[in-house]
Amino acid sequence: MEINKRIQLRFGLRAKLLLLSSFLFVIPWFGYQYVWEMEKYLRFGQEQTLVGTARALATALHERENLFNNQASFLPNVEQGKDLYGYQLTEAIQLDGLHNDWPNFSQRAHFYNEQQKLFSGTSLNLNFKASVGKYDKYLYLFFQVVDKKVVFRGNNNRSIINNDHLALSFTDQNNKLNRFIISNKQAGWISAFSITDNADDIPQPAAHIQGHWLLTPQGYNIELRVPLATLGDKIAFAFFDVNESETKAISAIGSADPSQLNSLGTILVPSPEIERIVKGMRYTNSSIWVVDQHHRVLASAGSLKSASGVWRDTEKPASESEKNSLWYQFEQQILLPLYYKILTKPPTDFIDKLYDAGHLSGEHIVSALSGYAKSQWRLTTDKQALVLSAAYPIFINEQVQGAVIVEETTNGIRTLRNRALEKLFTVILAIMVLGALTFITFATRISSRIRHLSNQAEKAIDPQGRIIGAISPSTSRDEIGDLSRSFTTAVNRLSEYNHYLESMSARLSHELRTPIAVVKTSLENLALQINDNKESAYINRAQTGINTLNLILTNMSEATRLEQMLASTDKIDFDLLCVVSGCVAGYQQVYSDYTFNLHTIVKSLMLKGSPEHIVQLLDKVIHNAVEFSNDKVITIELNLPLNLNKNQAELMIHNNGVLLPKLLSENLFDSMVSLRTPVSLSQIKSKDKNHIEAKQEQPHLGLGLYIARLICQFHQGKISAKNHHSPNGVTIHISLPTKV
Amino acid sequence: MTKRIAIVEDEAAIRENYADVLRTQGYQVQTYANRETATQAFNLRLPHLVILDIGLNDEYDGGFVLCQQLRAKSASLPIIFLTARDNDFDTVSGLRIGADDYLTKDISLPHLTARISALFRRQEAFKQPVNNNHITKTGSLTIDSQRMTITWQHKPIDLTITEFWLVHALAKHPGHVKNRSQLMTDSKIFVDDSTITSHIKRIRKKFISVDDNFDYIETVYGMGYRWLSEIDDKNIYSH
Repeated sequence: MEINKRIQLRFGLRAKLLLLSSFLFVIPWFGYQYVWEMEKYLRFGQEQTLVGTARALATALHERENLFNNQASFLPNVEQGKDLYGYQLTEAIQLDGLHNDWPNFSQRAHFYNEQQKLFSGTSLNLNFKASVGKYDKYLYLFFQVVDKKVVFRGNNNRSIINNDHLALSFTDQNNKLNRFIISNKQAGWISAFSITDNADDIPQPAAHIQGHWLLTPQGYNIELRVPLATLGDKIAFAFFDVNESETKAISAIGSADPSQLNSLGTILVPSPEIERIVKGMRYTNSSIWVVDQHHRVLASAGSLKSASGVWRDTEKPASESEKNSLWYQFEQQILLPLYYKILTKPPTDFIDKLYDAGHLSGEHIVSALSGYAKSQWRLTTDKQALVLSAAYPIFINEQVQGAVIVEETTNGIRTLRNRALEKLFTVILAIMVLGALTFITFATRISSRIRHLSNQAEKAIDPQGRIIGAISPSTSRDEIGDLSRSFTTAVNRLSEYNHYLESMSARLSHELRTPIAVVKTSLENLALQINDNKESAYINRAQTGINTLNLILTNMSEATRLEQMLASTDKIDFDLLCVVSGCVAGYQQVYSDYTFNLHTIVKSLMLKGSPEHIVQLLDKVIHNAVEFSNDKVITIELNLPLNLNKNQAELMIHNNGVLLPKLLSENLFDSMVSLRTPVSLSQIKSKDKNHIEAKQEQPHLGLGLYIARLICQFHQGKISAKNHHSPNGVTIHISLPTKV
Repeated sequence: MTKRIAIVEDEAAIRENYADVLRTQGYQVQTYANRETATQAFNLRLPHLVILDIGLNDEYDGGFVLCQQLRAKSASLPIIFLTARDNDFDTVSGLRIGADDYLTKDISLPHLTARISALFRRQEAFKQPVNNNHITKTGSLTIDSQRMTITWQHKPIDLTITEFWLVHALAKHPGHVKNRSQLMTDSKIFVDDSTITSHIKRIRKKFISVDDNFDYIETVYGMGYRWLSEIDDKNIYSH
């Protein structure tokens, strides 16, 4: 219960304000959403731009028939293996019969086997892989042939076909068929011969076809090149296998029959003309392809890795002076690493293997080739980057003859978004820090003011409900100020009321004094005139009664008179021990039946105050102790406690007797409060009859200890009463600050 | 010659009671219920002694005003305040504006008449030459019990009757402690302890005003007061 209450208390204003201020987090969320929206629009924009780029390029290629003329673009369909594509090679090829300088050979090579056989004998034990590439002014061809037995041309053999050989045929620019036979006597540089349809013609060596024949464990490799200038757009090659020297070929496999012009397949090499046009577009930060209707790449420019869109270069690199600034350092070293825990940097290195370099596929391309421009989003194959592709058809004679494909990554936008988010985060961070600080400051101020007020209120009223101080009203014009002022007013009014109550006895006595004086003087007059004993007895009784009444009134106003007197009393230095010991000696005389023990270890105890009033205080407390003592022993202790505040003189008056009721012991020192029934009053009466008669039997009004409290307060001291046990009794504890 | 005493008191019953008792004492008593009638009468003829209440009907300080007027007319006219107000402030004010004594209404009639006759006696004594029989000397203190005057180091101390009686009671037996009730009996007053304390304080102040080093009325804590004789070393008695 107690703990629970504490937890509730701790959830103070500050905590509440902080909780409320957490709604501020909505702002960064909105900012974040906004940036995402922005990115969406930017992507949309990029898409449009990309489609625009594709359209622009396509526009440059529309209706330019001659660009596509010598390509196989006009074929209704292409046949894999027969219609060849010359990959654009990026590096020169060394003619050594090894395919390690052919990029992606295994993927790009086409495998020829039984299905492509031209003729065969009993069993076919020949197959090969072929790859075609274009570099500079040459068309390169690579063949990897698997042949159990390689039969070279005999040294003195005139025939060039009675051994393993390669037949290569292609048209020239004028569509005239040129036929060649590669037939070697040994491994090494190839021997190419130009042949004609007439078998009787002597084959002429063809020096423009160069290459290398390399024997391999499986068979042999042939790597050769043909100048592009001699090459048209139709080609065929075939390997003839001979198992026995000087015999005719028993089987042949090839792309097409090299001897017939009509049967030749097409060869497509990236078109330099289209490439030239496309090159003009490479400054668009896009990756561009032009494909024919068979998805074969006619030209390409740019790389996807550098194609991050038009937003790429919007970011300016920081200048030197900026780099040296503290903020830049802070941003780079602390903020950015923090942000990039959440954000991802667009990767500069990603792998995209979607497109074969010679053959592009994709829904957008299909759509473009059927005449509709289309753009699409896709992830790179390693899922690192998002790629935007746009395809636009190229029309020639109202027929789609190809398509332009433009691709960009969204890295530019992502970089831009990251920049925006960085800025947003920085601003949010600043706002949050400032906002939080402001909130905390404000909340702290408010809560401290309220706490101050509450402390003041607590201090203004003591546990007994007495007003012990005033609240200084706040001057601020807000609600707390109002509260403070209301408190002040309330406390002041309460204080006035309390004072009214405390002084009521005095005013009551004042009001009663006149009628009592009337009675008293009348009685005295009567007493003077009547000499009859019987009558004077009554008058005496009446006078005794009126005197007692008068005494009560005097006592009632004693507290008020004391307060007034204290207000005009000057404090002097005096020895408390001297006063106390003097008083104790006096009490020993007055209450001769009682034993007074004074215990003290101090030699002197200087105090600043009014010794007369200290005496009055002692009178009241000792009187009280005597009244309630049941063993006639009063013990008085005067000490300077060593462990506590050394500037407090501690005066304790013990008497054994009735205990204080627990509930009301706090109010003991209030005006007109009397809690205990004096046990020894009758004893006093019998003890000192004359004295009591003279004192008119002191009436008990409960003002004695109130007066004691007033005097203690005057000396900035405290008075309290506690029960003590075995033997039961009461200790009045008075602490007075000594002169410092 | 019968002395004429004027009583200014708004409470008729008290006024008449006082008047009755004083008349039986042989005084000629005139009573006034308010300040106006009293002032008119005093303008015609001054009485030999005036007993004033402070609050007169609606006038809270009517008695004080009247006292000032009377004091302006005669410096020697004995004026006694007899009032229900027992606070220190009113007492001091009343004595400061020239009253010869300040009594509260709980004083018994015999005490009152004793004071009145004392005041008259003192007046009479001033008219006669100084009689050395009535003069007692204790160190620097000279008490003329006839004239009820006290001098300290040959300088007169202006004391009220009550104060005179108090000093007289203390100085009669130097070195003896007088407790409060004894002092009350001797000075014919019946008040509470703190009133005695303030009386003693006033007396000390009056002595100190003529002698800065005056310190002969000692408070014996818990018992009362005593007059220290100048020859005795004070330390013998101190604790």
